[in-house]
Amino acid sequence: MNARLESLIAAAKQAWAAERSSGKVRLTVVLDTSSVARGAEETIAAMRDAIEKQHLNAEVAIAGSWGFCWMEPCVAVRNASGTETVLYANITAERVEEFLQAVVTEGRHVPEWALGVAEGNPTADVPLLADHPFMKGQIRRLMANIGTTDPENIDHYLAHDGYVGFGKALEMDAETIVKEVVDSGLGGRAGGGFPAGRKWDFLRTATTSPRYLVCNADEGDPGAWVNRVLMEGDPHLIIEGMLIAALAGHADAGYVYIRYEYPLSFRRMQIAVQQAYAKGLLGNDILGSGKSFDIVVFRGAGSYVCGEETGLINSIDGHRGMPRIKPPFPAQAGLWNKPTNVNNVESYANAPLILRNGAEWWSSVSTAKEKGTKMFSFSGDVNWQGCVEIPFGPTVRSALEQYAGGMTDGRPCKGFQPGGPLSGVVNGDELDLTLTLDPYRERGLFLGGGGIVFFDDTTCIVDFCNYFLAFCEMESCGRCTTCHGGTQRAVEIIRRIQSGGGRQHDFEAFEQLVKTLVWSNCFHGQFAMTSIKTALKAFREEWIEHIDDKQCRAGVCEGLIEYRVTSQSDAALAEAVAICPTNAIQGESGNYQVADSLCIRCGACVEVAPGAMERRHRFPIEVSQGAAAAAGV
Amino acid sequence: MAAEPTTAELRALIAEFEPGKGHLVPALHKVQETYGYIMREAIEAVAEQLNTTPALVYGCVSFYDDFRTHPAAKTEISWCSGPACRLKGGDQIRSAMQQTLEVALGGQTEDHGVGFHLGQCIGTCSEAPQVWVNGKVVGDLTVAKAIRLARDLKGSK
Repeated sequence: MNARLESLIAAAKQAWAAERSSGKVRLTVVLDTSSVARGAEETIAAMRDAIEKQHLNAEVAIAGSWGFCWMEPCVAVRNASGTETVLYANITAERVEEFLQAVVTEGRHVPEWALGVAEGNPTADVPLLADHPFMKGQIRRLMANIGTTDPENIDHYLAHDGYVGFGKALEMDAETIVKEVVDSGLGGRAGGGFPAGRKWDFLRTATTSPRYLVCNADEGDPGAWVNRVLMEGDPHLIIEGMLIAALAGHADAGYVYIRYEYPLSFRRMQIAVQQAYAKGLLGNDILGSGKSFDIVVFRGAGSYVCGEETGLINSIDGHRGMPRIKPPFPAQAGLWNKPTNVNNVESYANAPLILRNGAEWWSSVSTAKEKGTKMFSFSGDVNWQGCVEIPFGPTVRSALEQYAGGMTDGRPCKGFQPGGPLSGVVNGDELDLTLTLDPYRERGLFLGGGGIVFFDDTTCIVDFCNYFLAFCEMESCGRCTTCHGGTQRAVEIIRRIQSGGGRQHDFEAFEQLVKTLVWSNCFHGQFAMTSIKTALKAFREEWIEHIDDKQCRAGVCEGLIEYRVTSQSDAALAEAVAICPTNAIQGESGNYQVADSLCIRCGACVEVAPGAMERRHRFPIEVSQGAAAAAGV
Repeated sequence: MAAEPTTAELRALIAEFEPGKGHLVPALHKVQETYGYIMREAIEAVAEQLNTTPALVYGCVSFYDDFRTHPAAKTEISWCSGPACRLKGGDQIRSAMQQTLEVALGGQTEDHGVGFHLGQCIGTCSEAPQVWVNGKVVGDLTVAKAIRLARDLKGSK
């Protein structure tokens, strides 16, 4: 291997070993967007404060997320002798004093807060972390370092075989690198599944230069945060992946396009790039190899369609982020109309693993058609909102039970969204679908970048479709009438249905929109109607109830429910009157009424005074459409 | 945030950016990070610096949700519009907060004390339903809690 790389790695290993033999208790706190939301910064401040004031034999380090996002802040405690590391959850600032007293001063475990032993032997009171139900079955390759190493320290990455894959690639010719990636079977991780190696070969065989790489880190699908976990947890994995792709495709420069909403990812990627330059891993004549490659970390500015590769390219180019008309494809004319390869964060991040360990090792993990591991994040009406890395192939049901901890309060799973607002909705009776690409494609849906959202029977499917379509309408770039006009029309119809004005004809109107939106230029318009299309099939009964019977079984749709006072004597009624944001509960003591025209159906009154107020169906089930019309809706 | 910049200050601020190098969005970020928003004069200065037109620059500013053409409010509330929050009553929280603050989505209270925006999911879904107050997650909301939060912020000038 490249001698300079070898010495970088040797020095990094020494530094890592020295850090780990400090003789102090090492408290590695997860510091990422999820843990910050749950107070990780306060935890760190409280720890540093206590260590200083009480002269504790301990030190604080930071790391990315283990995936236990719903139990952050997580803290890994490595004892002073270095014989074991125990992972703890929910270590908020208020718990720090008690926690440090136990794990530092007394040198004992706190079993009630422990998730498991990450390094070392299980004890009578703390089992192995690998035996935690959330960890079982996970195969952590991309996430191997996350939780352990400091994402802001390149030496930590180098000490864990970082840049070894790149070192191997440096000794291979471009064609051999491409072949290795093709042989691995790595498919695009944003949901398309297109073979990454073949894409790289387009760039390799391009006839013009300069050539560019783009890393699509515009993870805009609401409910997906797997790329964020990677960028905030192990950013060098992505840089190394891009370096390997650069060698394979003879690329000159690369852009990492990160959505505006991820400031910490942006900062960590920037730090990582700066450190890579400082070590000679980026820039001119990388490690004396004669190869050069630059990376620019580019911050988006808030636009979902910039996640579409040509919208993203336009955004970097300095235009409105409107997707282009294809062809030409980015491989022919991308950034500044030069050959450009666009891959997702997770796609690039797999390349170092393939080069380091070989295509055969890499692909051996999955028995499904799709090779390698995939990261997923689970959210919605589930007990655990976490992030995992598993081989493709398990059923959605098993993932729900094992990695999302089942549905909240044990309610039935009404359905799930397999990958973003364009991906559609699946009925809960199809939980035995596998986490692979084909079953969704066959049904006109798709498995997206890894964000799966489960919903229970308290969800109104019409309202959920309103959410998806309103999102698509708002994020439409405006190029195609089919998309910007079509989504607007769909939202109008849904809102009318929700307000009690649904008509039989609406089904036809939706069908018409389904047929015309597919003519849109880009993915956004083409798939904007997927949620309605699939929901009309999977939940047809519920649409009929809304349209024909004016019933919203979930009690969500504004025009189909109403609030009223049920007890004038309930002591909490005054609170309901006071909390109402529109002063809709009017009258005087003993005679309060809800002024229906003012009520916005927010439900705050029932929340504070459940004994005095109720939400009820506006139209008794017998009421016909005619009667509803007569009632003015 | 700094006070209104002069044209000379704006020019100096963005002097590092060059035409044809993908510098438009970074230049606009720099203006907004420095002054809190992108003022009319900045649009003209950026256009001049990047050898393009104010129309193109403004077209870009208006395309992206996170560029502001007016100063931020003292307290900015971003309402998370993501699916996990939606499933837990996020839309009821939105309408109740808007009514309490008397603002449209994307607007500010009359005294510029509180701004209310649509936020996109950042994957802190365990905190749903949530808003971000000046970037800090305020989670596990209910409608009543959200109304009280909005009243407190509105009252606290």
